[in-house]
Amino acid sequence: MYDRKVVRRRRAALAVFVALSIAILTAYFGESGGGLFHTLQRGAQEAFAPIETGASRALKPVRDLFGWAGDTFEAKKENKDLKREVERLRATLAEAQTAQRDATQLKGLVGLSDEEGFPRGTEPVAARVMARSPSIWYSSIKIDKGESDGIRVNQPVIAAGSDPDASEVGGLVGKVTNVTGGTAEVTLITDASIGIGAQVMPSGATGVVRPAVGNPRDLLMEFVEGGRVTEDTTVATSGFTISKGESLFPRGIPIGRVSKVDLEEVDIYQRVHLEPYADLKTIDIVQVLTRRPRGAQTAGVVLP
Amino acid sequence: MILSPGSILRVGALLLLAVVLQLSALSQLSILGGHVDLVVLAVAAVAYYGGSVAGCAAGFAAGFLLDLLSGATMGVTSLVLTAVGYGVGRFREVRDPSHGLLPLAVGAAATGGFVVAFAAVSFMLDVGASVSPLVIRDAIVTTLLNVLLALPVFTGSRKLLGPALKVDPLERRRRRQPPRETGPLGLRGLEV
Repeated sequence: MYDRKVVRRRRAALAVFVALSIAILTAYFGESGGGLFHTLQRGAQEAFAPIETGASRALKPVRDLFGWAGDTFEAKKENKDLKREVERLRATLAEAQTAQRDATQLKGLVGLSDEEGFPRGTEPVAARVMARSPSIWYSSIKIDKGESDGIRVNQPVIAAGSDPDASEVGGLVGKVTNVTGGTAEVTLITDASIGIGAQVMPSGATGVVRPAVGNPRDLLMEFVEGGRVTEDTTVATSGFTISKGESLFPRGIPIGRVSKVDLEEVDIYQRVHLEPYADLKTIDIVQVLTRRPRGAQTAGVVLP
Repeated sequence: MILSPGSILRVGALLLLAVVLQLSALSQLSILGGHVDLVVLAVAAVAYYGGSVAGCAAGFAAGFLLDLLSGATMGVTSLVLTAVGYGVGRFREVRDPSHGLLPLAVGAAATGGFVVAFAAVSFMLDVGASVSPLVIRDAIVTTLLNVLLALPVFTGSRKLLGPALKVDPLERRRRRQPPRETGPLGLRGLEV
């Protein structure tokens, strides 16, 4: 059986403490800042401040330990978020860099076709490189434009250089050797089968440019006639045929810069090294010159 | 609980320690957005071992002290902790539990009840205050953290209050253990 006295005492205690709490709450709300409870609160805080400060200092290592644990959890989450953000930013950066690279190459191509001496009326068609020869020979690339875009076999292909600030913005890349409805294969000037009738500007010495297979940054100009070639001069297509038939490359398309001249035997035979203007290793965008310029030169140089 | 100056001193020391620790250390420890509420556990422990009267008195005192020292609206915490202390004390008186892991459930219920009741009272007082959904997360985390801390707090409180307790649930539980079989059939339980 319940003891009535105990029950009464219990209920009375609850009622008293609840009533006290409500009374304090009401008084606290009702009084001004200088009232009894506010003053009491300030006094208690002042009195306990040293204890709290001491305890706070004493417990700082514990707090730091737990804080470290909490920070570790938060750091893990933050790390995860940051990784996600880095991935997103990397993707954005890659997009931006790709766009910038494309813009640079397109700018180079525009600049190239606007250059003095570049053949006019060639109706260039821009195309994106879809595939590259996997060998180290860099002999061919595949582009995303084909017969339906006016691309035909043997049309010359140009590309921008790697350095947009260079004086020469790009140059000859190769020629179209195979065409389908929507794609075309371009054989690069570094392919062993290519020979280009070339002329050194402004001296006018002519020769045939052939690749140094395996090194896309080196071309060789052979059978040079018409004078001594000096370094740092420009070599462009001559418009001459190097075998029977019409020249594939119209006159005036820049090929490269003379990087070195080897004089062999009693200075009779010159072996000229060229560095191609077009960046053959990293081209992404090219232009196919779909029309031959009017009055293109067709003088012939027959290979021995 | 035996009402004596000694028992009052012990409960007072426990609550003061809990309040000082709460204000100077635990309130500054944010773990997963919540923090341990030692005062609620201390009040629940006093109520669990001392009964409803001791519980509501301890709740009122701890709440008053906490409001006084923290600069919060006075009366709110004492009102809520009074209810919590009374509830836990009544649970012990009515159910008479003695399981060793019961402090976990009591700590969780006390903390959960305190958080909800405190939020309700605060919400009633601050009319028009917008409440972030994060409050719910904080309440859950605080309750879980208190569950983790409940056993050591209850054990420590029991040791501190031991001499002042009329009835110790754990002691009673030990007494309820069945007699050991120590002899022939007729002598079982006699520990001969």
